[in-house]
Amino acid sequence: MNDVTELSKMDIEVLARLAALPLPEGRPDVIRGPLSAWVKDANELSHKMSQARYLDLIPAAIFSHDSF
Amino acid sequence: MSSVNSELAELSVAEAGDLIAKKAVSPVELVYACLARIAVANPVVNAYISVYEEQARAVAKAAETMVVAGHHLGPLHGIPMGLKDNIGLKDQTTTAGSKVMADWVPTRDATVAARLRGNGAIFVGKTNMHEFAWGGTSDNPHYGPVRNPWNPERFPAGSSGGSGAAVAARTCAAALGTDTGGSVRLPSAVNGIVGLRPTIGRVSNFGVVPLAWSMDTVGPMTRTVEDCAIVFNAIAGHDPNDGGSVPEPVADYTADLRKGVKGLRIGVVPGYFFNHLQPPVHDAVKSALTTFEGLGATVTDVEIENIHGNISAQLTIESTEPSAYHQKWLRERPTDYGEDVRTQLEMGEMLLATHYVQAQRYRRLLRQEFMEAFKQVDVFICPTLPFTATRVGEMKVVIENGREEDMLSAIMQFTGVPSLTGLPSLNVPCGFDHEGLPVGMQIIGRPFDESTLFRMGAAFQEETDFHRQQPNL
Repeated sequence: MNDVTELSKMDIEVLARLAALPLPEGRPDVIRGPLSAWVKDANELSHKMSQARYLDLIPAAIFSHDSF
Repeated sequence: MSSVNSELAELSVAEAGDLIAKKAVSPVELVYACLARIAVANPVVNAYISVYEEQARAVAKAAETMVVAGHHLGPLHGIPMGLKDNIGLKDQTTTAGSKVMADWVPTRDATVAARLRGNGAIFVGKTNMHEFAWGGTSDNPHYGPVRNPWNPERFPAGSSGGSGAAVAARTCAAALGTDTGGSVRLPSAVNGIVGLRPTIGRVSNFGVVPLAWSMDTVGPMTRTVEDCAIVFNAIAGHDPNDGGSVPEPVADYTADLRKGVKGLRIGVVPGYFFNHLQPPVHDAVKSALTTFEGLGATVTDVEIENIHGNISAQLTIESTEPSAYHQKWLRERPTDYGEDVRTQLEMGEMLLATHYVQAQRYRRLLRQEFMEAFKQVDVFICPTLPFTATRVGEMKVVIENGREEDMLSAIMQFTGVPSLTGLPSLNVPCGFDHEGLPVGMQIIGRPFDESTLFRMGAAFQEETDFHRQQPNL
C-alpha cells in the first residue's frame, strides 16, 4: 500500500471539490496538516483490515430489522 | 453561602433522597442550596449555559407538597440535577453549545429528561459543553470555556465538561452527559467524579442532538458510584422512539453494590494499558489494582491482538458521521462554528468511504477480541485518560519525554475502546497528582453488565476516600 506522507494544498482543494464543499482562501492550509496525519493512520488501518484473515468481518454498523 | 446551605449541597443523591423520603429535608431547601452554590461557583467555572432559578424553585415547592401528601416518587424525588445542553428539554432553549442551534426550543423532552422528570428529579439548569460535543476540552467559543473546579486555570475535559464541573463543584447532586468517544468519562476523570458510558442501546438517545449516531450514548455523572446506579435505574431501558434502543431487560443496578469483589477477575492489556502515561496516572491506577487485589479480586494480563489502531478508527467514525449531520449547515453557516469544530467537520468530509467502512469492520474485530477475552476475566481496568487536567485553551499535551501531542488523539487513548466496541465503562476517581488534580480509572465490562461495574466501583469507594475530597472553590 502506498503511504501518503503529506497532503498538499491542491489535494485538499480536490477533496473539497469532490465533496462539493466550498473552502474559502486559507482553509486548505488549516486542514492540510491534521488531515494528513488522520489519513496516514486511516490507511494503516485499511491495510490491516484488507488482510485475507479478516475478509469475513462485516461492518459493525449494519442494517437491523429490529431498529425499524 | 450559609454553612447549612453548603452542607445540603454536598449531600449525595442517596443521602439527600433518604432525607427527603423521611421528610427531614425539603426539596425546596435542597434546590435553594444548589442555586446558592451555582451563584458562587458558576462565575468561576462557567458550568451552566442556562440556570432555571424560578422554575426549579416552583417545581421544588410542588415536590415538597407531594412528599407531605404521602406521594413519594422514589430516590430521585426532589433531587437537583443538571442536563448537558444537547439534551432536549421541552420549551427550554437547547443549544448543543453552538451558535447554529442557539435558538432551538424543543417541543418535547428527550426520553432521558422525561424519565428523570417522572422520577421526581428537578432540573436546575443546562450545562456548558464542547460545541456540538465534537471535542474534549469544553473550551466553548460561544458560551465561554468551562473551567475545572480543582484549579480554574485547568480544563474540565469534555465534551460534557459543564456537567463534570457542575457536579464536582456541588452545584447539583448529579448531571447527565453524553458520551461518543469519551465525553462522560473524560470530564468525570479530570473533575474527580463518577461517570458511566452505558452499553450502546441501553439508554435512549431520542431527543438528544447527535454527534456520531453509531457511537452516541447518554450517561449519568455523580459523586458516588451508588448515585450513578440510582440515576441509571431511572434512565436505562428500551425506548421505541430510538431505533438503536435495545429491548433488553433492565436490572436494579443498586442491587449488587454491597457484594464486594472477592473472586472477580480483572484483565489488563499488556503493552497498552500502562504505556504512554504521565507517572501520577500510572501510579494511581496501579495502586487501585493493588486495592482490588487486597479486596479479593485477581489481576491477569490478557492480550488483545488488535487494540492498536483503535484511535484511528475512533477518529474516522467520530469525524465522518458528524460531517454528514452538519453537511447543510457547514455550507450555509461555516463561520457560525468555532474554529476547531469547523476544521474537524471539514476534515470529516475528506476521509474516504473505504476509510469509514474499514473502521466499522475494525469495530467488529475489536469487539470479537474483547468478547473472547471476557471468557478469562470479568472486567478490564485501565486509566481513563493518560494525563491530568491541562491548561484551559491548550490544544497540545505533553505525556512523556517532553514531546507535544495532539490533544484529540491523546485524550482518546483509552476511552475509544468502549466507544468502538459498545461495551459499558465506568470512571471512578482513584487518586490525585502532585498538583492536587484528580486521576480516574476506567472499568470496562461485558455488554449490559453495568451491575458489575457498579459493584466494583462501590467496593473501591468503600475502601478509599478520593470521592469524598472536594475542590476548594
